[in-house]
Amino acid sequence: MPTQNLVETHNLTKQYGKVRCVNAVNMQVPPGSIYGFLGPNGAGKSTTLKMILGLARPTEGSITLFDVPVNEKNRMKLLAQTGSLIESPSYYGHLTGEENLRIIQTLKGCSEKDIDKVLKIVRLHDARGKLVNHYSLGMKQRLGLAAALLGFPKLLILDEPTNGLDPAGIQEMRELICTLPSKYGMTVIVSSHLLSEIDQMADHVGIIRKGELVYQDTLESLHAHSKEQIALRVSHTAIALDLLRQKGIEAVQEEEYLLLPMVDDTYVANLCRQLITQNISLYRVEKREKSLEDIFLSLTGKESSL
Amino acid sequence: MNTSYIRAVKAESLKLKRSPVWLAFFALPLISAFFGTMNYRLNIGVLKSEWYSLWSQHTLFLCYLFMPALIGTYCSYLWRLEHTRHNWNSFLTAPLPVSILYLGKLTQAVRVTILGNLWIFLLFYICGKLSGIQSPFPQKALEWFLCGTLGAVVVCCVQLLLSLLIRSFAIPIGIALAGGILGLYMTNHDYGMHYPYSIYCLGMRANNPNMEISLSALIVNSVGYIIVFATLSVFYLRRHEIAAN
Repeated sequence: MPTQNLVETHNLTKQYGKVRCVNAVNMQVPPGSIYGFLGPNGAGKSTTLKMILGLARPTEGSITLFDVPVNEKNRMKLLAQTGSLIESPSYYGHLTGEENLRIIQTLKGCSEKDIDKVLKIVRLHDARGKLVNHYSLGMKQRLGLAAALLGFPKLLILDEPTNGLDPAGIQEMRELICTLPSKYGMTVIVSSHLLSEIDQMADHVGIIRKGELVYQDTLESLHAHSKEQIALRVSHTAIALDLLRQKGIEAVQEEEYLLLPMVDDTYVANLCRQLITQNISLYRVEKREKSLEDIFLSLTGKESSL
Repeated sequence: MNTSYIRAVKAESLKLKRSPVWLAFFALPLISAFFGTMNYRLNIGVLKSEWYSLWSQHTLFLCYLFMPALIGTYCSYLWRLEHTRHNWNSFLTAPLPVSILYLGKLTQAVRVTILGNLWIFLLFYICGKLSGIQSPFPQKALEWFLCGTLGAVVVCCVQLLLSLLIRSFAIPIGIALAGGILGLYMTNHDYGMHYPYSIYCLGMRANNPNMEISLSALIVNSVGYIIVFATLSVFYLRRHEIAAN
């Protein structure tokens, strides 16, 4: 039966020895989306993506791409519609950027004109004749993306594409990825261990922790989990807290701040006025949001590294 | 011809650009021919069979030592391209069957081996002429070339498998060298036809151009070994999760 998703995994499991690196993952990637695959280092992101690409065989479960089951018989057909950048970029350092792309273009059997196009997209046009050994890490990463873009596949799988890039490179890569669905009709799966990165790129998100998919939905839904609060910093915290509680406000103290549930602007203004009339100096009034990071940590466990 | 195969061969050719590894195939036969010819000329009183004597001097070290090591080096280089810099990921996600990707590598190894063998025979002819050999060039040389080349393809398949299994660049070359030396022992004890590194030497009639060998046995054994080692390589590529490690 046809599904609405471009990529689906069903109870996808990978076991090495006694360790289940990926455990019954049911990933669902809608067409045209940027699916952020988020998880701490070692959570099973790369292994999952490698299974989707056929670089690792599932211990259990199955995968469908474009409604076709991934197996030995369909593999070539599916790979022809897929571009990927797994772990660090693959390259032959003794060759130029253009020659590296020509190898991939030859293997993919796509048009030679694509080389020019992808070099322009990743802005490596001027460095096309330079040996890749002399490229910076950022340039190699962009070359890896260019190679993945050759043939303009329907599905692009990018595993930690901003790894090792400087802030400007990260920003550039992010902007580039964001344009791919609208400009070229691609569906992108992008993995990262950085929540902020996924927050700025993805519209769908899957969070993996110790091999298990602990969250999967739109990024919007993830944001809906966040909780807004008003934070006050005052001269006499204890007195102010008493005063607020007397007024029936459920305030709590967190370090030097008093945290109040979200209220409207007029209410905040009145509250401030009353505090000042009680000779309590007001240092800060801030709007706080339970950050995505907090949500991420609560889903993945505080012990996980970000 | 299958377009997938042509694409795989073309991609492998592109990878070998600016790789001077083929130079060894040029240099070592030249050294071997030089010393072989010197030895022939210095012992011309004993070595009286002209072309046949010269051939024995040219091929002793070349076939038992240099060629297996040369083929080993080339095969190690071919897989080293994929063993480094996460290239397995792109190699194995190419939309071509693994067997075709393997054939792309094998074709490169066979191509350079054929060219190397042609160079050996060309040097043999030039050195013979420069040494003043008057008798006609032996017609049997064509058979030596064809049988030798078939034997060299066996070595290519063995070395491609070893270099695929062993990530180290040098170890498979060391095995090739040891395999070649052991080949001398195997040939002397009549096991040569069953030992992959000896088949090349037997085909080339290395050190003994008058040696009588069974052509059918050479062809059957060579083809058999080629099929076995190539199948093992393809099976390994297909079953072993190289890129997952």
